[in-house]
Amino acid sequence: MKKTSDFKSYKKEIMGAAHDDRLRLALSRAIKSFRSNVKNALEKFPHTVEMAEEVLKIKEAAIPRMEELARQAITAIEENKGKGYIARTADEALEIIADLTGTKKLVVKGKTMTGEEIGLREYLEDKGNEVYETDLGEFIIQKMGSRPMHILSPSIHVPREDVARLFSKIMGQEIAPDSDIADMVAAAREYLRDKFFRADIGISGANVVAAETGTLFIIENEGNIRLATGAPPVHIALVGMEKLVPSLGDAYKVSEVTWRYANYTIPSYVSLVSGPSKTGDIEKVTTYGAHGPREFHVIFLDGGRTRLAKYPRLAQALYCLRCGGCLYECPVFAVTAGHFGDKYFAGIGAVWAAIVDEDMEKAASIAYTCLTCGRCRERCPVKIDVPEMIIELRKLLAEGDSA
Amino acid sequence: MDSELVPPGLTYLADNIISRQNILGVTKEQGARWAQKLDLPRQAETTFFAGCGYQFSAQLEILMSLARGIDKSVIGAELPMRFARFQKKLGLNLPGIYSNVLSLSMLPGKEEVKPLEAAIKVLRNLGIQPGYLAEEEPCCGAPLNHAGLQTKFADNARQAYEKLKSFRVKQVIGIVPYCTHAVQKLFPLYVDGYDLEVRHFLEVVAEKIPSNKLRYPRKVKVTYHDPCQLVRYLSLVEEPRLILKSIENIELVEPDWTRGEWATCCGGGGGFETVFPELSQVLAVNRASELLETGAEIIVTHCPGCIMQLKDGLRELKIDSVEVLDLSQVVATAMET
Repeated sequence: MKKTSDFKSYKKEIMGAAHDDRLRLALSRAIKSFRSNVKNALEKFPHTVEMAEEVLKIKEAAIPRMEELARQAITAIEENKGKGYIARTADEALEIIADLTGTKKLVVKGKTMTGEEIGLREYLEDKGNEVYETDLGEFIIQKMGSRPMHILSPSIHVPREDVARLFSKIMGQEIAPDSDIADMVAAAREYLRDKFFRADIGISGANVVAAETGTLFIIENEGNIRLATGAPPVHIALVGMEKLVPSLGDAYKVSEVTWRYANYTIPSYVSLVSGPSKTGDIEKVTTYGAHGPREFHVIFLDGGRTRLAKYPRLAQALYCLRCGGCLYECPVFAVTAGHFGDKYFAGIGAVWAAIVDEDMEKAASIAYTCLTCGRCRERCPVKIDVPEMIIELRKLLAEGDSA
Repeated sequence: MDSELVPPGLTYLADNIISRQNILGVTKEQGARWAQKLDLPRQAETTFFAGCGYQFSAQLEILMSLARGIDKSVIGAELPMRFARFQKKLGLNLPGIYSNVLSLSMLPGKEEVKPLEAAIKVLRNLGIQPGYLAEEEPCCGAPLNHAGLQTKFADNARQAYEKLKSFRVKQVIGIVPYCTHAVQKLFPLYVDGYDLEVRHFLEVVAEKIPSNKLRYPRKVKVTYHDPCQLVRYLSLVEEPRLILKSIENIELVEPDWTRGEWATCCGGGGGFETVFPELSQVLAVNRASELLETGAEIIVTHCPGCIMQLKDGLRELKIDSVEVLDLSQVVATAMET
């Protein structure tokens, strides 16, 4: 009866979170500001709603063609003198990246959910590398030894006083619990600054990829990804196959809808990366590795995504743009944060656990924690019907695949 | 062949539906008791589908408070749920016996007019004379669907349809949101040639209400809580508001953000409360707090689950100055004056 005890410990974790007043306070503030920001962003740019409908059509057409698009992107990337890979499994992706990295290297990472999915940081550390998360939230999580609690704001559950205490400990300089947040941000900037320039490898994810040119679209506000993918001599990108769309135009639309529904009128930075750094300024001879990376590697991860694409009612989980909006509408998430989930959170997390990770016990715990209240569906730019997926998933759990 | 992955709270409800055609596993006569003095005809083209939630609301309320107590203790809710299921397999039925005792102390007329009686009164006042199948009313089986037991849900749907047809029912007026959704939207997926016309009480009332003069006995501020199934599954957004606004003396005040399609779930969705009794209460408190911010004196809603949850939320918050009423009760009261 392993399952019972697993469910019991999961429930204990959930209830622990639900009784954590600090977590609740942090979340209720975040939800309030998210709603008012997203309202503002959509009122200022009302065309976004129609664009989201276009994006749904783009995703509906692209998901069944993921592999073909990945191959097309790899061809384009290699024409640009980068290198592309398809990793069938998480292990394959880890191996490719570990081979490219080697050992005793300094690695700077931008935030990547796909990296979290396969345990990339831990794997590279085990291989004897020094790995730094450079997204502030992810940096906090790494140093706390915790795990992300939201796909966009990983440290959403950590109040500022806890950050001050943590930074004082790791940076050897006293940061008072009542310091300004700006001082904490400055401390992290100072701590990480030289790592970007000393790093051997920079690792990132991507929000969307245009297959026709092999272009990665990377959305961010901090500027850490620009540094992590610009300063080191090697840039490795890990991208879930579901992020591929056919054209640059498609990719732009997906990007704009993603940041708008993630509550931004416009993010500070959107990087478009298609190949290694190059110059032809001396005698028109193309030479690689000018100011940016000399090497550019993109790994497209299947890891169960093509399997998920074959389930008629569950495949819509792959349309997810990871804007994170649904999480702010989930009444359970509002009191538990990412404890309601696994690698991905809430209802979509259950589908992911069941089909991508094939962990049915974990999937059951998450699936039966969903209220099927449907408010996430109201928020979703691509109208992912989470209650429909949850009922379908419970059917798979209760009656098996063939029933 | 229930999988071990289905939580015991849901398999308990599922067993009851299959064995006794109601979620509590008690006798159908108990459920039908509310209508004893109403002289509703059994045989009628239009039947009023009362559903488990309202018929057993008092029993469910007490069982939930027990489950919550146990869930908060070191025991947790799973073991007793498994035990209750095991007892039934042995032929014992403790929750059933318990609710038998309970129902003796709850004779009709002792309390305020209950939502179901109120609903019949409203329908009659609007010139609609529905029938009621009483102990012959089939169970919609919605919790089977929510548990993931679709094969059993499909079997139940076909039997329920046959039962309704055997009484020559042509139209159904549903009132419990879950039941209405099941009978209207899910049954056609599993029953060939499904030909019942299913409408929700709110649609029927909203259509007829403007011609009537309604007045609440005192000036009150009320807020409305949208049940998930009504607002996001059956798209009944305007109807309840239209009804409430047509009543003199009622001022409708609503939360800024969490209303209509954006209403927050009360925490009692699809059997969630049986799997997570304690967490479900936390969510009930949250929703009650959102509604209290409007300054309303009455929280009106239209779902037996939501009523139970919101009452519990208020109790936890130690608020006794705010009432929770069903929309049917409010309309019935407004028709009296």
